[in-house]
Amino acid sequence: MLKTLVDAFALISTWEVIISMFAASVYGLVIGSLPGLSATMATALLVPVTFYLSPIAAIATIVAASSMAIFSGDIPGALLRIPGTPASAAYADEAYAMTRKGQAELALGAGVWFSAVGGIAGVLSLMILAPPLAEIALSFSTFEYFWLALLGLMCATLVARSSPVKAIAGMFIGLLVACIGIENPGGVPRFTFGLTDLFGGIEPIPALVGVFAVAQVMRAMLTPEPPPLPRRKFGSIMAGQWRLTKLYHWQMTRGNIVGIIIGVLPGAGADMAAWVSYAMSKRFSKEPEKFGTGHVEGLVEAGASNNASIASGWVPSLLFGIPGDTIAAIAIGVLYMKGLNPGPTLFTEKASSMYAIYLMFIIANILMIPLGIAMIRVATYILLAPRSAIMPIIMLCCAVGSFAIGNNMFGVVTVAAFGVIGYVMETNGYPVAAMVLGIVMGTMVEQAFVTSLIKSDGSILPFFERPVAAILAAMAIGALLWPVMVWIWRKVKQPQTAAATTR
Amino acid sequence: MRLPDSITGSFLVVLGAAAAYGGYILPPVPGQPVGPNVFPLVIGCGLALCGLAIVFGIGHSFEEEEELVPFEDGQAAAPPPQSKLYGLRALLPPALLLFYVFAADRLGFIITAAIIVYLTSTALGAKWKLALPLAALSPFAIHLIFGKLLRVPLPAGLLPTPW
Repeated sequence: MLKTLVDAFALISTWEVIISMFAASVYGLVIGSLPGLSATMATALLVPVTFYLSPIAAIATIVAASSMAIFSGDIPGALLRIPGTPASAAYADEAYAMTRKGQAELALGAGVWFSAVGGIAGVLSLMILAPPLAEIALSFSTFEYFWLALLGLMCATLVARSSPVKAIAGMFIGLLVACIGIENPGGVPRFTFGLTDLFGGIEPIPALVGVFAVAQVMRAMLTPEPPPLPRRKFGSIMAGQWRLTKLYHWQMTRGNIVGIIIGVLPGAGADMAAWVSYAMSKRFSKEPEKFGTGHVEGLVEAGASNNASIASGWVPSLLFGIPGDTIAAIAIGVLYMKGLNPGPTLFTEKASSMYAIYLMFIIANILMIPLGIAMIRVATYILLAPRSAIMPIIMLCCAVGSFAIGNNMFGVVTVAAFGVIGYVMETNGYPVAAMVLGIVMGTMVEQAFVTSLIKSDGSILPFFERPVAAILAAMAIGALLWPVMVWIWRKVKQPQTAAATTR
Repeated sequence: MRLPDSITGSFLVVLGAAAAYGGYILPPVPGQPVGPNVFPLVIGCGLALCGLAIVFGIGHSFEEEEELVPFEDGQAAAPPPQSKLYGLRALLPPALLLFYVFAADRLGFIITAAIIVYLTSTALGAKWKLALPLAALSPFAIHLIFGKLLRVPLPAGLLPTPW
């Protein structure tokens, strides 16, 4: 235990790790603070760079950039009422109302402070939850993996805040994309249409870059430029945060816990955590009438929640290779590339690397406080950069980055194609996150499914016979039927309310 | 580019059916009941069912609820409807990426990248005062990071970089 901790310290105290972590933090803060550039996009564009780093440094950049970007999405949310990342959308109105009341410092300070606290709570949950879950996971067979993966996919469709049918369709499209190539149970070329480039299948990372970055540039072509930021002088940013912590310690804890739970659920991530926590905060508040008028309580809870989910989203990723959210989906890709294949044995064989990941999360969240304050102070200048100067650079990064992944031009074609697919899906209400998880998990789902079918000799019954498999199956099927139940409940309730109003 | 649900749904039905058929005709693994054909078959059927449900408007009520969530000012303000070709502007970024695929080897990275930056920047409303220096400098910066530091073999083409 102590030795692994010392080893972990040795792993992260190299110049390469320190420099790449610092650089990735600044990068994450800047990208997250620019409206329209999300934390997922920041992480996806970082992947080609991680190719050329050592494993620990590569993970350090992902950890630092994603944590910072989730926080700094709060900055334009509070100052412009435009959330920098979807995870900040839940409380952008509230934060902006506080800015109008002249409390911008308090709102942004709460963003920094409770993000850092939430992040550290998330790491603690990762440290506590992961090892015992790894013990359980060791006894999992393909049946359990199949249901677990299915549960993850179903969660992704549940949280999509769109039509569940469209979300499931998006998931199927992702799984279909994952079918392409010769990496299938029979080893035959499948859906390759005779193109050699398709034999290796569609790489998840170029697809992600296309869906999250190119589609965003496409959207920018049709939407008006966000308004410039009014220049302002900030007072002390951290003043009053300790008072808030004492006043709202219960809300903070609840936000942390909700964030951790949502993060651990495969498929649900930071934006969902923020929405749920903000709604919960309003529901259980002693003064719900103040919400929406610039009240800090919801900010505390949602800010604590979305950052907590970032770290705990790594639990299913590290244990099962099932991403907790889209950022974790990218992280899994990097883990595989760096020889840290996700799985329960990771915690015994590569224990020092695991401790290094924990330590890096803690350092990133502590680093967030000074860097975050500095970022808030210079945000006025960064947000001056016009979109017409940023988007071209993003385009270049997309082209070069996707080329760098396999050193072939087909990556660039993939990025362009998925840009179009992502854009069309998003404009028509098909959630892209569900598709992305489908692409990332497709091979694994198929392997677990087909291996299970072969083992059971084509029978369905063994899928439910093992106790854990049965529980997971019940949860997955429940998640599938949940929208149906909500729909029926609404249908039943509607005539009642209609009858009540006519009476 | 917002299409009616009946069109996207029908497209999914066709796609699902094609995937199921494509899976069905795959050769099975000798001596095994399940092979590479099962998964596409299941997914194709599922996708076709989803497509049908979308055509018939099932689950639509969940979407309307989302539209009730007040959007932020900046996002809600849609651009005034201009000519029909205005929507095609969205296709510029993927078109430029394809241009990169075909032109980079011949023209070299610097020239291709400069063209992409200039066009994207102007399309987003930049004046030449911003777009030109950006197009002249940013390819070198990107080349420095990816080509020099990360050693990605970027094509030199007509204009090799000084390093």
